[in-house]
Amino acid sequence: MSNPIEVHGLVKTFGRARALDGLDLEVAAGEVHGFLGPNGAGKSTTIRALLGLMRTDGGTVSVHGLDPWADAVAIHRRLAYVPGDVAIWPNLSGGEAIDTLLRMRGLDPKATDRDALLERFDLDPTKKGRTYSKGNRQKVALVAAFATQVELLVLDEPTSGLDPLMERVFNECLAEHKAQGTTVLLSSHILSEVERLADRVTIIRQGRTVENGTLAELRHLRRNHVRAQITGALPADLTGVHDLQVTDGAVTCAVDPDGLPGLLRALDAAGVESLTCTPPSLEELFLDAYRN
Amino acid sequence: MPTATEARAEARTEAGTDAAGTTGLLRLNLRRDRILLPVWIWLLTAMVAASAFATTGLYTDAAERVAASRVINTSPALVALYGPILNEHSAAELAMSKMTVMYALFVMGLGLVVVRRHTRVEEESGRAELMGATLVGRSAPLRAALLEAAAAAVVLGVLCMVVDVAAGLEVAGSVAFGLSWTGAALVGAGTGAVCAQLAASARTCGGLALATFAVWDVIRAAGDIGPDALGWLSPLGWGTRLDAWGDTRWWVLGLYAALAAVLVVAAHVLRGRRDLGNGLLAEGAGPADGQIGSTLALVWRLNRLSTAWWLVASLVSGALFGSVAPHIGSLFDSPAGKAALEALGGKGRVEDAMLAALLAVMAAILSAYAVQVTVSGAREETDGRTPEVLAATGSRAQVFGAQVLVAGAGLAALAVAYGAGSAIGYGSQVGGVGDALGRLVPAALAHVPAMWVVAAVAVLAWAWSPHQPWIGWAALVAFVTLGEVGPLLELPDWVIGLSPFQHVVAVPVQPVDVSSEVGLVVAATLLLAVAFGRYRARDIG
Repeated sequence: MSNPIEVHGLVKTFGRARALDGLDLEVAAGEVHGFLGPNGAGKSTTIRALLGLMRTDGGTVSVHGLDPWADAVAIHRRLAYVPGDVAIWPNLSGGEAIDTLLRMRGLDPKATDRDALLERFDLDPTKKGRTYSKGNRQKVALVAAFATQVELLVLDEPTSGLDPLMERVFNECLAEHKAQGTTVLLSSHILSEVERLADRVTIIRQGRTVENGTLAELRHLRRNHVRAQITGALPADLTGVHDLQVTDGAVTCAVDPDGLPGLLRALDAAGVESLTCTPPSLEELFLDAYRN
Repeated sequence: MPTATEARAEARTEAGTDAAGTTGLLRLNLRRDRILLPVWIWLLTAMVAASAFATTGLYTDAAERVAASRVINTSPALVALYGPILNEHSAAELAMSKMTVMYALFVMGLGLVVVRRHTRVEEESGRAELMGATLVGRSAPLRAALLEAAAAAVVLGVLCMVVDVAAGLEVAGSVAFGLSWTGAALVGAGTGAVCAQLAASARTCGGLALATFAVWDVIRAAGDIGPDALGWLSPLGWGTRLDAWGDTRWWVLGLYAALAAVLVVAAHVLRGRRDLGNGLLAEGAGPADGQIGSTLALVWRLNRLSTAWWLVASLVSGALFGSVAPHIGSLFDSPAGKAALEALGGKGRVEDAMLAALLAVMAAILSAYAVQVTVSGAREETDGRTPEVLAATGSRAQVFGAQVLVAGAGLAALAVAYGAGSAIGYGSQVGGVGDALGRLVPAALAHVPAMWVVAAVAVLAWAWSPHQPWIGWAALVAFVTLGEVGPLLELPDWVIGLSPFQHVVAVPVQPVDVSSEVGLVVAATLLLAVAFGRYRARDIG
């Protein structure tokens, strides 16, 4: 059986600009997949292609094995979507907007846990759309999405505009859906959010995939940062060790996974007194991905 | 979970996947339009009722009716505005003369507004994307909008038939007339649907559609004054050529249906060729650096392009009408016409009268520029951009002043452009462009104070609250309507006098009335003062 989301070599051009330039994305069933990239990297464009809102110029896109452009409605039946910048109707109340979104997927709002979610997100459904702040508009779309029981959640920077308290509610709701086996595509540039929630990540830049895998896999490819205090001296020609600096016995360096055993032996020989070894944060993976 | 092939088969068997969700969207749209749609239909029906009942009561004998019809037919300005009256003996045709062409424009506008509001505006705001991820097919928003417009068109047409029959007009003619309005609304909706596919913004979409209507009306006017064949090229000319109140050409109704069908099919084809949120006409790139350093410069920059189009339109329509003026003699070819011509003071005088009448018409039309500038200023506020501007300059007076200055100066520039255009058009036919400029440009400027009053009312509406920008448009329509229908309904003079356009004399036929011009300027100033007082004191946003 194919993955819920399979994108290979996706190309989308706007005039002469190539917004997507051979992008690959695979999301396995039941996982939370972080979709990372700087502004303008093509995250939202990819999502719009996944939803069948946008025609593509090359490559393949499949969602639940279907072509989004040809079978948009069948795909939408099995997913819920929260855009990054939520717009709602100015003269409809928040509650009306949520119920509209639910009814448009054939659901009876009374039969969903809409009311419980309204309470959890602390949203007043009687206010008119035009009076809502950005955060409250975001909540409208989140409540409508979490109230549906779907196989796939597509969330485009869903917590922009939410305060930390509401972010926690969001994380809880996401965890509940994940526990039920929902697949989640979570686009973000907030790294800590993805680091906490995602099983696997794809990092894109300028319309191309630059990294993908589990956080552990990506770390495996990356250098650890080592700080140590030694009494003796280190040999100068350690393989896989970079940016080595020794000042009054204080050592800092970056080390490739292959170079770590050699470095540890050398440190031991040099009389190591203290040692810290930090794996790279997603932040660093992220920056690394852009540097190349 | 079904396999891909099964799922695809399941998707295909769903009836009309592309149109899925149309019913739900239609319900949502009707809910959102529960005030706009009834009010618009009701107002148009009321206009028909007022004209039908008033006219039948106003002219008691046939001779009076024929005389009134002949007044319209022998005035090129009125023919340009309302179209000719084919059967001068028909009370019904006289009663519906303004409805057949001029108000048909508002009927087309109804179709346009409904379609634009639920397609391009929704895409621009991002709501279409939110809805598009639910069980909504690609063409469902367009279909829902067109269905609503079609329903409104039918309801409006039927109401007009009923009202006309109730007023005692011929049944067959009432049916033909009502159907012509249904047809006009459908054509307007189709035009809106195509423009919504072409333009990437709601504003450009509206501009394109209105420009199309304007071109149609100019072709129609030229056809009504000059070669009849031209009028067949314009949907706005079909209402007259249907001849609802005489030897009715029923097949003309098929023209509306055919054009609307072509436009709707074209819109669907175009929709399939573009992405949600994009238009087929690509947005051009802008400069990398900005030169805007003041509120006034910003407001001007935001209105620059549309102002340029308004100026071109003023100049061209002035030139068109100016060059038609010397040829009006042909309308007086009959012996009775020649007598009427002499009674009016000879050919030169009649030409001046026509130019003056057209000036008055254009003054009302050009006032729309100020309303448009003000309404877009209100949108700056409701869209949340005004606070940024205020935070940068710290002065509400600057924002208010910049809006008023662009609207007011723009109106004066448009009047000069129209006056110059008509002088060039007129002068090119009879010689003496310089002399014509000297007469017609000041004549056009004489209308500016009345236009400023319209601008001031629109500004007051915005200053009061930015959330009801349509009030400016309603005021303009009300002013025009007062002048058109007030005398028919025998309203008291002071009510008709509420319209600023009633206080401008027919220059260049009559000398400028300085005191009423000053009065108009004072009225505009007072309105602006009240508006500024309110704008300074109220909440922004």
